[in-house]
Parts: sequence; structure tokens; C-alpha cells
Amino acid sequence: MWVQLQRIMSEAANRIVKSVAEFVPGILALVAVLAASVILGVIARQVTMRALAGVEFDRRAQQWGLGKLGDWSSAKSASSFVGRTVQWVVLIVGILVALTALDAAIPSRFALSVFEYMPHVLSALIVLAVGSAAAQFFARAVLIGAVNMQIHSARILSFSVKWLVLIVATSMAVEQLQIGRQILTLAFGILFGGVVLTASLAVGLGAKDAVGRAIERQYDRAPQERDHLDHV
Amino acid sequence: MVVGIISYNDADTVGDVVRRVSAGIAAHAPQGCLVLADGGSTDGTVKRAESAAADVCPLVTVDYSRPALDPLAAPYHGWYGRAAAILSVLRAASARTAAACAVIDARLTSVSPEWMPSLLEPVLSEEFDYVAPYYERHPYEGAITKSVIAPMFRALYGVRLRQPAGGEFGCSSRLLQHLLDQTYWAAKDADSGIDIWMASAAAVGGFRVCEAALGGRTHVVKEDPPDVSTALGQVVGGMFADVEARAETWQRIRGSQTLPVFGRSRGEMTRQPVVDVEPMLDRFRLGFDALRDVWAWIVAPRTLLQLKALAEAPAPQFRFGNELWTQVVYDFALAYRARSMPHDHLLGALTPLYLGWLASFVEETCGTGDVEDRLARLGEVFEMKKPYLIAGWRWPERFRV
Repeated sequence: MWVQLQRIMSEAANRIVKSVAEFVPGILALVAVLAASVILGVIARQVTMRALAGVEFDRRAQQWGLGKLGDWSSAKSASSFVGRTVQWVVLIVGILVALTALDAAIPSRFALSVFEYMPHVLSALIVLAVGSAAAQFFARAVLIGAVNMQIHSARILSFSVKWLVLIVATSMAVEQLQIGRQILTLAFGILFGGVVLTASLAVGLGAKDAVGRAIERQYDRAPQERDHLDHV
Repeated sequence: MVVGIISYNDADTVGDVVRRVSAGIAAHAPQGCLVLADGGSTDGTVKRAESAAADVCPLVTVDYSRPALDPLAAPYHGWYGRAAAILSVLRAASARTAAACAVIDARLTSVSPEWMPSLLEPVLSEEFDYVAPYYERHPYEGAITKSVIAPMFRALYGVRLRQPAGGEFGCSSRLLQHLLDQTYWAAKDADSGIDIWMASAAAVGGFRVCEAALGGRTHVVKEDPPDVSTALGQVVGGMFADVEARAETWQRIRGSQTLPVFGRSRGEMTRQPVVDVEPMLDRFRLGFDALRDVWAWIVAPRTLLQLKALAEAPAPQFRFGNELWTQVVYDFALAYRARSMPHDHLLGALTPLYLGWLASFVEETCGTGDVEDRLARLGEVFEMKKPYLIAGWRWPERFRV
């Protein structure tokens, strides 16, 4: 009986040792991958920030309408924001790879599904960046055009155009992320339609006299505004 | 010697122009030849020109193809297809080994036979290469040329051409060959920049340049002229593009030379427009109110502060000084080069500033007869501040926010 007990204890101890021996390399690999991703993240951040400084990214970001990137986070500037984002992306990828190294079923499936989702996040970010630049471009074009047409509410017009483009870009980005697709599309349609309807009612009913007077002023003023100088 | 007339559906005026030019050629250079460059007129322009020239002067017709009109493009302040028309005249003159060539617009109503010796004699007798026109105009007409083009020409290219973007011109065979060797003709904005480009090519290319006083200039207007913003964008854009293309050359030029003037002033002021300063001041103030954030990307912070003070000044104290205006123009030229924003945005943002300058110019000179002196002082300041432009051009990072 003692021999049998000893054998059972020995087999149990062997199984535990074997399990630990099988698990420890995974843990070591996890720690190594995490440490490597932390170091890589810091390096990637520094390299990114230096590269962005080389192409004067902060100045260009201001021109493209991305100057407020730094305001959205604790980053001091747009290039710092991008640098931090790159660092976090490397770190998150490292964590996912580390989880896969553990060879556990659930974390591996989670990591794979996150990797599969990444293209959507990237395309949403691209849509947001392009939308922000487009909003800045159209807002400035409308502002300058309206000033040269002597429209006194040029800033309001420009502001409206900017936010219209930004809202459309945000909706497209959310669509890319596949979050609440139908609800968001519906909400956007209702919101946009509501804004247009409200504006139509406000102009048509509430402010029709004011609009009429403004149009009259515009017509009355037009012949006087065109000076008869040949400027060239 | 060749005199080219460029036309497109100008049956109403081409007959008179051909008759007067032919008379000028017959009187002053009987061996001369008339070239009509026509862009495919459908109103009988060519026939009218041929019948007007008959028995007076030989007329050769050459074709040029007008570029396709972009329906979305802004209306053009000048002659659509002008670059192609001038090129075909120059080619015709080159093929005939002409010693001198002049180009005249078929829409002119003020051309006279005396224009021929004024444009061609300096080339034939005095060995000048480029004869720029000098038209008598109302003091406040051509203000874009007076405030930006002429002072920049003086400061950058070293010649005091008063109307570098004038319509007509005369040139020597030497300059003609030089112009034909260039690739500018196919450039996208060649039509709006061709006059400035030819004048600057002569000025910086080692050619002798002079002016010809031609009296007043009137022409038939077929389309509504574009608004001031469009015209300013096209003309100043043409100048800035030329400055960018010739950056290697103008940075080495120091000082400027006055040019001899041939012909005599006729005292013909063709137009007496009514000038109202108030709307210009309103547009400047509206511009400051709405565009100061855009201007902040273009001009230096100190300049922006001065513009703020100007926007707040009451009309009697509103004075756009020469230094401030020069600083503004140079900052816009640097921003054009640095691509701080799309070029049409940049040039559009200049309009309220230009109108502010013009309002101040009118206020300062109205009734004083001080216009030429005021413009000469402006040219001096452009010359004086040229080192600032050169420094900004060479080390743009120092001038950025």
C-alpha cells in the first residue's frame, strides 16, 4: 500500500512538474515579448517623432487642420500625439503576441479577432484624417470666397461647412468600425435631415423678413459694389 | 520686320486695326509684313483683315489653337489663348528672319500708325531687344500693376518697367529666338502670365529693355471682366510663379536702372473712373475680421499687429504705409513659394489687403498730383527690403511659425 501511495504521489508530482515545465517557457516567452514590445514601443516613438520633426509635421498638421490632435490628449503637439499612438500600438500588438505565446485557447482567439479588426481601425483613422484635412480645406475656401463676395457672415458659413464635413467624416469612420451600423446611419440621417428641416423652417417662417431684407440689400448693393476701375 | 495681330472673332475691330497698322508699316518700314494670328474665328475676321490690308501691306495668316475652355475655371482677366497666339506670331517672324517684331491685339480701338515706329524703331535703330508699352492711364487704374508687379520687377529684376504686364510689345530677332527656345509656352498658366514672363525674360536675360509711350489704350470688351479677386489672383499668381522660376537669377541682382522712353506722351487719358474709397475700406475691415487667422499663417506676427491697428483706424487716419505693404507682398511671395496653403487660397486672401492699400493710396494722393512720386517711393522700399525676401527665400524655416 505504501508503495502504491508512493507511486501515486510520484506520478502526481511528475504531472505537476511536467505541467509547470510546459507552462514556464510560455510565461518566459510572455515576459520576453512584453519587455521587447515595451523597448520597441519607446524606440518606435522616438524614431517616429524624429522623422515627423524632420518633415515639419507639426506645422503641416496645423495647415491640414490636424493641429488640435495634441489637444485631444496630454501630448504637447501633434507629432507627440502620433509618437505616443505608435508606442501604444506596438505595446498592444506585443501584449496580443504575448498572449498567443501562452498557448491558451481563449487569449489566442481574442488576439486573432483583434488582429482581424485592426484593418477597420486603420481605415477609420485614415477616413478621420482625410475628413479633417478636407474640412479645413473647404472651410478656408468658403471663408476666403465669402469675404471676397463681401458676405458678412463668412465666418459662420465657414464654420458650418467645416462641421458638416467633420460630421460626415465621423459617420463614415464609425461605419468603418462596424459599430452600431444601422443605428448610427439612422441617427445621422435623422440628425442631418432635422438640421436641414429646422433651417428651412427657420428661414421660411421665422426669419423670412430678415432673409428678404438681406437679399434686397444684396441686390441693391450689387451695382454699387462693382467698382469701375480696371485693376490690372 | 513683322507686325503680328492676334485675333479671335474680332470682325468688328480687326479691319480698323489692320488699316492703321498697315498705314504705320507703309510709312515707316515699307518692307514690313503683317501676320494675322487667328484662333479659328467664325465671324469673318480673316476676310475683313485681308480686305483691309489689300494693296497696302502684305498679310499672311497663321493659325493657332485656343486651349479648351474649362467651364469650371474662373473667367480670365485677359486674352484666352494669348500665349499660343503670340507663339505663332513669333514663329512666323522667325521663319521670315525678321529683324524686329511687334504684337498688337485685334480688339484695340486706340491703335494708331504712330505705334509702329514707337514699338519698332528702338529695335531697328537703337539696338534695343524688348520694347514695353507705356500707356497713359488714370492714376488709380492698373493698381495691381502699380502696387505689386512694377515694384517687384524693379526690386527683383532690376528694371523700372512701369507696365510689365502691358498688352503690346516689340522685340528683336535675338530676343525672339531666345523666347522661342524656352518651354514656358506649354505651361498651365501661360495665358495669364505670358506678358510678365516675356518682360522678365528680357530683363534678366541680358537683353536691352526700353519703354514706348503709346498714349491711351482702349479695347472692345466682349465679356464681363472678372472681379478684382480673380484678376488679382491671376496677375499676382503669374508674377509669383515667375519669381519662383527665376529665383537663382534675381537673388544676384542689385539695384535697378531707369529705362529710356521712346515716343511722346499724348495726354490721352482714356477713362475717368469714379473711385469710391469707402467700399474698399469696408472690404479690408471685413477681411481682417474674418481672415486674420488665415493671414497669421502668411505674414509675420508684427505685420499682423500693424494690420490690426490699421483695421481699427478711422478712415481719415487710414494709411497703408510703404513698409507695411512691402512686407505683406514679400510675405505672400514667401508663402507662395513655401506652399503654406493652396495657391488660390493664398491669392484670394490677398484681395482685402490690396483693397486696403488702394484705399490708402487714393486717400493719400487724391488731388495732390503726387502719384508718380508715391509709386517711386514704393519701388524704393521694395528695393530696400529685398534682403528680407532673399533671406526668407534661402532659409524659409526661420520665417515660419
